[in-house]
Amino acid sequence: MRQQYAIRSLVVMAGMLMMAIAVIVQIVRIQNSEQAKIFLANGDLYASEFRTFYPERGEIYDRNGHLLAGNRTVYEVGVSLPDMKDVDAMAYVLSVYLNMTEEEIKDKLLNSPETWTYIMIQDYVDAGTVAALQQVIKQLEDAGDDRLNGLGFKPHFQRSYPEKSLAANVLGFVARDGRGYFGVEEKYNDLLAGNPVQMWVPRDPNKALDIPKVPNGTTLVLTLHRDLQAKVEGILDEALLEYGAKNGAIIVMDPKTGEILAMASTPRIDLNNYLDYFQVFDNGSAYNRSIGMAYEAGSVVKILTMAAALDSGIVTPETTYIDTGAITVGGITIQNWNRQPWGQRNMTECLQYSLNVCLAWVASQMGSPTFYSYMDRFGLGHRTGVDLADEAVGRLKVPGDADWYPVDLGTNAFGQGVTVTPLQMMMAATAIANDGQMVTPHVLYAMLRDGHQYNVPSQYAGSPIKPETARILNEMLAVSLQNESASALLPGYRVAGKTGTAQIPTPQGYDPNHTNVSFIGWGPVDDPQFMIYVWLQEPTTSIWSSETAAPVFSRVAEQTVIALNIPPDLVRLQYGSR
Amino acid sequence: MQATQIIHAYKQAPWRVQRQYVGAFLLTVVVLALVAALYLDVTSRTALAGREIQELRAEIAALQRSNADLETELANITSSAVMQRRALELGYRPVQPGELDYVFVPGYVAPEPPLLLAAADSPLYQQTLPDEYSQSLLEWLDEWLHSGGGLP
Repeated sequence: MRQQYAIRSLVVMAGMLMMAIAVIVQIVRIQNSEQAKIFLANGDLYASEFRTFYPERGEIYDRNGHLLAGNRTVYEVGVSLPDMKDVDAMAYVLSVYLNMTEEEIKDKLLNSPETWTYIMIQDYVDAGTVAALQQVIKQLEDAGDDRLNGLGFKPHFQRSYPEKSLAANVLGFVARDGRGYFGVEEKYNDLLAGNPVQMWVPRDPNKALDIPKVPNGTTLVLTLHRDLQAKVEGILDEALLEYGAKNGAIIVMDPKTGEILAMASTPRIDLNNYLDYFQVFDNGSAYNRSIGMAYEAGSVVKILTMAAALDSGIVTPETTYIDTGAITVGGITIQNWNRQPWGQRNMTECLQYSLNVCLAWVASQMGSPTFYSYMDRFGLGHRTGVDLADEAVGRLKVPGDADWYPVDLGTNAFGQGVTVTPLQMMMAATAIANDGQMVTPHVLYAMLRDGHQYNVPSQYAGSPIKPETARILNEMLAVSLQNESASALLPGYRVAGKTGTAQIPTPQGYDPNHTNVSFIGWGPVDDPQFMIYVWLQEPTTSIWSSETAAPVFSRVAEQTVIALNIPPDLVRLQYGSR
Repeated sequence: MQATQIIHAYKQAPWRVQRQYVGAFLLTVVVLALVAALYLDVTSRTALAGREIQELRAEIAALQRSNADLETELANITSSAVMQRRALELGYRPVQPGELDYVFVPGYVAPEPPLLLAAADSPLYQQTLPDEYSQSLLEWLDEWLHSGGGLP
């Protein structure tokens, strides 16, 4: 009996062993078959997905913490093709909300490559539209209707500019390719954009930690003062209308630090509709005239000529010159702006009456090597190094250049034949307002990254003239402005400055009917806290700077002292003496 | 004959030997089942935690988007143009230079531009993920021995 049980047990055991062996053999066979390799490969494909993690682009603030450029959520609307139930219903609903025709949508859904499982219908769809679509989906689902199955929304960021066109010329914009164009957005694109990370992301929750944490882009704080920027832009727009000018630019800067407080330029676009750029601008250099367009600024350059002459000891403020109305330099006769002689004049009066002949004489007394050496030290012909994209370099012809002629020494002395950007002139003039020390203009105040704020220090750009020279010229320009350009003055504040009226060069010579008018000025003279540059292109009501740019300077200065809380000289000096 | 009897005396009964084999086999099965159960338990808990991490990350991303949207919206409704319009509607007008009075305040220092420090990114997973999910058995044993052998 026991032997019978033993035999049965052995038979059962043998049977189970055979089955176990068969199972193991089958497992080994399946796992090593050709199909298994394909299956494993497909498994790997679905085990992870290739994704690019874009960090949130850094924000841009003004110096007082007002947001100038931020981000907002938009959506990519797409359809998962394997889940799609009803093409007609899908196309109809999407056509209602996405401003596309049913035919366009059907074409995308039905004529996609066979291997595709997902079709993007439209990107950059705003949150409101997506919310409406989600509502439709929910209503259908509640009713047990699955005709919109497969419709999905992928959120991502889009650049947003709450101030619209304010400071548009400084900020630049971000296009849909995620790259910054012009201004701060282009100059600091790498910092703002951060570092996108591309990788295969596992769907396996056990590998959740393999998903990278992408740090956001660096947030920037600019030196711009939002409210002053708004005022300056308003003044510029009014000035263009009032004086019939084609375009213009105004910059307000701290001459001690180089911080740009406001920078206005025309035309401007609403940065949220950056595609308008192609309708508004015909070339990139006009996007920000303050830095992108070099022009012959005219008599404002005289302050640099006089600075060089004073610093090199060629003249003093009391040096006199008998102006006969004409001077010959390099065989060419140079005349005053009114083609009249002005008689015996000291150097302050030469600046006050903006005498071309006098300044040409001063330059010829210095000689080319000295004159051009000083112009080079003032940065003419070099970029300022401002932290904005697309800065123009300007042109200063020097002896040895193929197109330099001896007469250029005389004409360059009063700003003809030399091209500068408004910002170049300002940078050079900081040496006069800042005791001989020139500063590099900049718009970046600080960077915020990983919980730390990194402030950007001011950068000095050399000392082209001695402090004593700067103080003397500062006083000369204050006196000359006080005596001659009353429209530029600001009641209660002593300011220094210089007008500039320049004919416009054409292939046929200088246009006698059109001018570029400029004004550079700063104040308070004893402790300069602001420097303002005004450029109006081809004003029609008057061709003279003293009647156009000078009053604009006064208006900007008025708003600047209010925005920066600069008390009148009397109050300031009275309290300062306590 | 005598020798055979002696050997037989020391040989265990066959059923006892079989019982030992079966016992050893069952013990092995039980141990393996226990290990498998523990492994399954740890794996499933890890998977749940991983899923939770994935969901939390998605939630963080959604909150960051919401935060950015709200910040931009706030900037929209406090933009320069909007604030000017609202001020005018409330009866305010731009101040004129002659209307300003400056008061001398001894020791007053003009305010510097504010610090706009962003919150530092914290290594979130290091703070919330228990050691059990990242520790090897040997590491756990080492820690247990160093802690005096008490329950971790």
